[in-house]
Amino acid sequence: MVTPLPELGRFAEPALLILVSLSDGPKHGYAIMADVEQGTGRPMGPGTLYAALARLEERGFIEALPPVDRRRPYRLTALGATTVAEQLRELSAFAELGLRRLGQAPR
Amino acid sequence: MIALLLRLYPARWRTRYGDEFATLLGERPLGPFDVADVLLGALDAHLHLRGLGSYSEHRRGFPMSLRLGGFAATVGGALWMTGFLWSFLDPADEDPGFAFALVGSIALLIGLAGLSAFQARRHPVLVWAAFALPAIGGAVMTFGLFMMAVYPDQPIVGGVSGWYFFILGLLAIIAGSILFAVATYRTGALPRSGALLLGIGSALALLSFFGSSTIGGPAAAVFVAGFLAFPVGWIVMGLQAIRLDRPVMATGAGAA
Repeated sequence: MVTPLPELGRFAEPALLILVSLSDGPKHGYAIMADVEQGTGRPMGPGTLYAALARLEERGFIEALPPVDRRRPYRLTALGATTVAEQLRELSAFAELGLRRLGQAPR
Repeated sequence: MIALLLRLYPARWRTRYGDEFATLLGERPLGPFDVADVLLGALDAHLHLRGLGSYSEHRRGFPMSLRLGGFAATVGGALWMTGFLWSFLDPADEDPGFAFALVGSIALLIGLAGLSAFQARRHPVLVWAAFALPAIGGAVMTFGLFMMAVYPDQPIVGGVSGWYFFILGLLAIIAGSILFAVATYRTGALPRSGALLLGIGSALALLSFFGSSTIGGPAAAVFVAGFLAFPVGWIVMGLQAIRLDRPVMATGAGAA
């Protein structure tokens, strides 16, 4: 059973961005922030990042690795990978529905 | 500053995340956006660790965002405009225009913090100056407003009345807005048209203010236009930020 990210409330969006950022391998906090900002063009503050990281770790979507130079990398767990894939499929289906209603073909 | 910000988090949270969080905060210049985000994060950590944020977090989570900043800037600009028009059209001693300007200024400060994320990384000094001027201005305005209510038309410090303190604070807010417009224009973090409008509007407001003390009644239209251009600049910049920060997750009840 996949735990839906919307349960994370206001942190669902940053949480999804973090999970997507970790999809191609472990990253530490600064690398996640930089990756999210580069990918979305929008800022992610350090307070928001760690609030979302704590929730994701608590729910078992990510896990911390041993720190390297005081920076601690995080990686997706199997549950996290399943959840983010499910969320992205839902978003994709929703986007396709919207585009069809607008009479535009998905790219 | 990093140590101070870290102290705001609960001890249990610091034990787990303190080291890596301090390292993260030290990796790039912190601006008003980051500090506001950390303050909200600390509040969230206290609520979350006490179990208050466990189940209904979409009411209790506070991610700092362009959206929040954009909304505050838009509301602040609208309040400023309402206050100014009210005072201009009904210049009574006790009109609520002053209170509108004060509340609007607080909203503009929140807006400035929310919209300053990218600018602060390239121009931290400029952005902090842009934030400090209105912050101090807001405090001076509040003091002036309070004194106007308690000692109307009476000198309070060095023969200066509360009205002058109010105006001094107001000018500081406008001057800070010019600095913020410059920082935003230089980084291109938000559409430059909004920054340009805010910069020109703020400069016009300052010029109008100083012009109004030397030229008489016929210049009223220029004065009004100048003072209206300032809040319009903030409203436009706020709306641009809201448009830019559309949610990534459109599905799910808790995504908003």
